Amino acid sequence: MAALAGMRACLPSVLQLSASGLLHSSNRVCAIPLIRRGFAVEAKKVYSREKPHVNIGTIGHVDHGKTTLTAAITKVLAEAGGARYKKYEDIDNAPEEKARGITINTSHVEYTTSNRHYGHTDCPGHADYVKNMITGTAQLDGCILVVAGTDGQMPQTREHLLLARQIGVEHVVVYINKADAVDDPEMLELVELEMREVLTEFGYDGENTPIITGSALCALENRSPDLGVDSVLKLLDVVDSYIPLPKRELEKPFLLPIDGVFSIPGRGTVVTGTLERGVIKKGDECEFVGRNRSFKSVVTGVEMFHQSLERAEAGDKLGTLVRGLKREDVRRGMVMSKPGSIQPHQKVQAQVYILSKDEGGRHKPFMSNFMPVMYSLTWDMTCRVSLPPGKEMVMPGEDASLTLQLRQPMVLEKGQRFTLRDGNRTIGTGLVTEVLPQDPGENINWG
Amino acid sequence: MALYSVLRSIRADFSKVCLSQRVQSFHTSCPLTAEKALLVKLRKTTGYTFINCKKALEKFDNDIKQAESWLHEQAQKEGWNKATRLEGRQAKEGLIGQLVGDRAAVMVEVNCETDFVARNERFQELVRDVAFAAMAHHRRRAEGQSGYVKSLLSAEELAALSVSEGARLADLLALTIGRLGENISLKRALAVVVPADWHIGSYVHGSGSGPGSGSGSGAAGVTMGRYGALVVFQGGQPGDAQALGRRLGQHVVGEAPVSLGNADDLPCGESETRLLPQSLLSDPSRTVAQYLAQEGARVLDFARFQCGEGSAAADQ
Repeated sequence: MAALAGMRACLPSVLQLSASGLLHSSNRVCAIPLIRRGFAVEAKKVYSREKPHVNIGTIGHVDHGKTTLTAAITKVLAEAGGARYKKYEDIDNAPEEKARGITINTSHVEYTTSNRHYGHTDCPGHADYVKNMITGTAQLDGCILVVAGTDGQMPQTREHLLLARQIGVEHVVVYINKADAVDDPEMLELVELEMREVLTEFGYDGENTPIITGSALCALENRSPDLGVDSVLKLLDVVDSYIPLPKRELEKPFLLPIDGVFSIPGRGTVVTGTLERGVIKKGDECEFVGRNRSFKSVVTGVEMFHQSLERAEAGDKLGTLVRGLKREDVRRGMVMSKPGSIQPHQKVQAQVYILSKDEGGRHKPFMSNFMPVMYSLTWDMTCRVSLPPGKEMVMPGEDASLTLQLRQPMVLEKGQRFTLRDGNRTIGTGLVTEVLPQDPGENINWG
Repeated sequence: MALYSVLRSIRADFSKVCLSQRVQSFHTSCPLTAEKALLVKLRKTTGYTFINCKKALEKFDNDIKQAESWLHEQAQKEGWNKATRLEGRQAKEGLIGQLVGDRAAVMVEVNCETDFVARNERFQELVRDVAFAAMAHHRRRAEGQSGYVKSLLSAEELAALSVSEGARLADLLALTIGRLGENISLKRALAVVVPADWHIGSYVHGSGSGPGSGSGSGAAGVTMGRYGALVVFQGGQPGDAQALGRRLGQHVVGEAPVSLGNADDLPCGESETRLLPQSLLSDPSRTVAQYLAQEGARVLDFARFQCGEGSAAADQ
């Protein structure tokens, strides 16, 4: 996380733009003029939020040129002022980083095209991508699948596509690399044909997936621009247009997990919390959900730092005054949301990473019927773990798909993150992948 | 009549000419597409890279059989090249493979660089071959001996073994490296043969294939995963030996005991590393020793492999 923040900080502010423009005459030939960087001055820069941010990653067989392509992208964009050139070696040794206390091997690179700002993730292992998904360090909005034109799809290409499916990547763009080493254009066509077949096989839209042919090495070594630089630019163009923007938090229906409830004499009851997503305005209809209760009301006032405001946005820590609310109606752990946008659930399927002993987790494995406490939003609730069929136990340091049964229904939805704790230690982090219906006849002894 | 027959023969000749011409023209325009079709076919059946398939076809003038055998030879050579080139790279992922037969069992560890490769079918085939080779080797050595035989094979010893068809493991290894493009190493193997009234319990945890990683995937008798344990024991309820062995194996994988200990040792809590005083994984209210006493069994030896761990397995 720190590394990510650091990298973001490397981006210059608009304020520094003029200064760097003066210092570096090379910037004048930039094709993409918006964000520029000073190469000499390495003071903290301010991340500029002018362009929408998208997370992408590269996947593909070993030695097909994932890292070379990443290096080529940064080089091409550095010439246009939208990135800082990262050498192959800088990207290749993925540093260990800790996100939510979990060690992930990953390298992040950032760059800017004329339309968007990209965070580019490259992980060495399958487990690292899964951890990445669970912790939400960089949820991939799309992937560039790299395949060598000399080889065609190879065993690992398939493993990687399977993984992309598993971690929920919906948009894949293909780059056929090493085209300079292939003298027969028909062979590249065959590779393309084969890739479309494979993509379709894995449930992607093989027919319409953009496929770009080129050579990342040429781009790095500045030779044959039609295969090199041009292909990289074309690839970025396609990535810009084919991978859609993730929905922004502000556009979603509002959700306020309740931190506290206060009654203020003469005014009414105020609920406080940090707005998870969406926008709240005075006069909005709202619904309180959770802890076996559900009722509707209207927001009559929004306050932040004891000052009333018209509109609060996701991320704001705020208090809302609600019409006709009594203090005992609401408890911490419930949520205030746009009516009908979220429901409590009691049973979910989740992808969970169990912390290893080194990361502060348990040293023992656990089996079905293990009962940790699940923490999410502002609530916590005992839950019972069921392992998938064919799996008898989960070792520390492993990820697993678990079914979690809560003691009482709580607000849960697909994509929600949570933590599992046992006694006084965090044992795992997870992501809800599916909400399951509650079996009516199920009786559990909660001890 | 004569005229008619002449006419007819002329017509027949004419149509023959036409036909042959058409056939000829078909042939002259064809070579490229025929080669392409062959290329696709060869690639589909062998899975070798496009560029090598093309080279092979060019070399043998589109003779698909010769091309295929040449490709196999070439792959072996390339594999060795690649193997020497990749030798220094660290291989810490991989799989443990277990093969349990009648009164004998082997457990092998094969390492690779990333977990992607460990999920690959070809890698799993290699693990299977290694397990079978180690088993055959061990059976030969233990022949004529009636007691308990246990042997640990090092990487070099393993590489020198050969599978039943005669190929050396070292060659198979090189072939797999050539195919998968990662450094792969045969780490170690453990083989045991037990006397008639002893049992071997086995457990493999965390499979390398498929989503959701079930408990121990396998084909043709070899189970594979990231952890494996073998437990040699005596006694137990008749007919129930396998379930008991599995339970004990699971405990060894989960609790990672270092030594066996004694049945009357006092347990020392969470950090207990002796097997017998540890509390049983599937029923923490009892110690392993108590469980064994109830089942009327006695553990004689055990071994645990964890994929990528630094030193040899915990062993007494």
